[in-house]
Amino acid sequence: MFRKFGREIGIFVLLLVLCATVAALNPRFLGITNLANMARLIGIYGIFSIGIAMVIISGGIDLSVGSMFALLGVLLSIALVDKHWAWPLAVVAILAVGMGLGAIHGLLVTRLRIQPFIVTLCGLLIYRGLAQFIARDETKGFGSAQGFEALRTAATTNLLGVPIPFVMLIIIAVIMAVLLGRTVYGRHLYATGCNEEASRYSGIATKRIISSTYIISGLFAAIAGILLAFYSNSISPSTHGSSYELYGIAAAVLGGCSLRGGEGSIVGVLLGTALLQVLQNLVNLLGIPSSLNFAVVGAVILVGVIGDRLLAGRDR
Amino acid sequence: MKHASLLGATLLLALCTFGCKSGGTDTASPASDRAVGAKHLKLAFITNNASDFWTIARKGTEKAAAELPNVEVDFRMPTDSAVATQRAIIDDLLAKGVDGMAISPNDPANATDMLNNAAKQALVITQDSDAPNSNRACYIGTDNTAAGRQAGEELKKALPNGGKVVIFVGKADAQNAKERIGGLKEAIAGTKIQVLDVRTDDADHTRAKTNAADSLTKDPDLAAMVGIWSYNGPAILSAIQDANKVGKVKIVCFDEEDDTLAGVKSGAIEATIVQQPFEFGYQTIVTMNKVLNGDKSAIPAEKKVIVPTLVLHQSDVDAFKTKLDKLRGRS
Repeated sequence: MFRKFGREIGIFVLLLVLCATVAALNPRFLGITNLANMARLIGIYGIFSIGIAMVIISGGIDLSVGSMFALLGVLLSIALVDKHWAWPLAVVAILAVGMGLGAIHGLLVTRLRIQPFIVTLCGLLIYRGLAQFIARDETKGFGSAQGFEALRTAATTNLLGVPIPFVMLIIIAVIMAVLLGRTVYGRHLYATGCNEEASRYSGIATKRIISSTYIISGLFAAIAGILLAFYSNSISPSTHGSSYELYGIAAAVLGGCSLRGGEGSIVGVLLGTALLQVLQNLVNLLGIPSSLNFAVVGAVILVGVIGDRLLAGRDR
Repeated sequence: MKHASLLGATLLLALCTFGCKSGGTDTASPASDRAVGAKHLKLAFITNNASDFWTIARKGTEKAAAELPNVEVDFRMPTDSAVATQRAIIDDLLAKGVDGMAISPNDPANATDMLNNAAKQALVITQDSDAPNSNRACYIGTDNTAAGRQAGEELKKALPNGGKVVIFVGKADAQNAKERIGGLKEAIAGTKIQVLDVRTDDADHTRAKTNAADSLTKDPDLAAMVGIWSYNGPAILSAIQDANKVGKVKIVCFDEEDDTLAGVKSGAIEATIVQQPFEFGYQTIVTMNKVLNGDKSAIPAEKKVIVPTLVLHQSDVDAFKTKLDKLRGRS
């Protein structure tokens, strides 16, 4: 138990140190606008990172999320702008497609026993290609949002000063934390992630558990995909969301998920996501050359993971 | 098990259908046209990535192909902007046997060998990005330094008293980015306009917007923002709208994305500098046809055909948009 908390405390301390440093170097970091900007992005990234974390806890991996953003973004734009669907219908359809794709991943992984890496890698390629084909390589957008202003407002506005994506993240995080920590499903999920075979012999419906995590990941990718589409308001099928799955995986790993499965918590994923966004923000706010962006992110993740490793070593 | 295999089959079928379809539209040339006097030519047009810009260029190649019955055009958009992807396409086309190709090299500085190799087997024209040290027959495209100067002039008009400016681009080391930024800095030299920084986003539109939003936070007294690549304009506009700073922070940008044109029309964007990709497509095919049919005069002595860039202001948008929609077949 201590070890589990220790992980989250470690990353929490890293996050605090980082925030304090940036705030000291540029006080505007703590300005209302900047905090709202960051909260919006943490909301979007956090939602799909939780989905990816669920898959990782079950012992799998989901690489398809970034391409799913492109495909779902393109479909959303076509449904709303070209086909003039009523926006509630379009949203439900996009969520259904996300869950459907997740269900397919789950089936391929559990029924055909194909490795999750390969299934979702194929997803990454197929969805990107389909997005480009369907959009005919044209950038899709939402123009002036005629007919679905309500949806765009809902996706981009603030509720009592807090950006909607962040509010949604908190709601989702609470639900998932309860699901993981207080229900039979959660215990079965951790058990399946630790040792699938042993869990199956002890009567857990592991196939169903594993499939469910891919469906959850697909659903959350769809929710985040809608928010992301309205955030950038422009979906270039060849680049939209490209490599975002890696941010989700990084957030999960930073937050204490083991890629071997069976470990991880929602709080950890939230802290990991926040850390990644603060990093992006500090590169801009401190005027660090953009070209160093990835290097800074990579270095801090490495520091976090090394720190965690050392702490873990001491406990054992 | 049953479900999964059914799905696999469906996907395969779908992919196959898509593949066949796009193959069909790519090469449209009835064999009966061979009878016409001029030599039957297989020409290729290779872009440097997949984007709207190139779908307009494609219309230009289609117009040329329609006018020239002896010409068959193979239009290729690499799926990403990696040098290797483009290289593979060029090798395939050479193996297939094309008479001429118009290439927008992804990495012009290091493309010399590849282009020279291709030039041994076919007529090679560079378009969009030039590789002047290679054996390409000529370059047809934009003078990006001149376009940068135009943007600089617009910036001077927008900021008569000077001010702080941040520039946004996908990759600062891309040739067109270097030239546009160079031209812009040249035009504003000696004025009170100060370029604070160049922020890059690796062509990620979300990061482009975040960069713009963060710059507004970092420098609240920013006077203007410049978007070098096509999506930077809309990204900057969106960030400025979120921060309620429309009009307070001026925008000058490039290209003709829908949101950019809407921004110019509303006055939120001062001006946008547009290229004419349709002309790239049209002129490269027409020029290659002339040269391959023995008319060497189609290539000017300096081996460069500059397609001028246009500056669009508020009053120019409607006419431009009508023309553009027609080219894209939207209207």
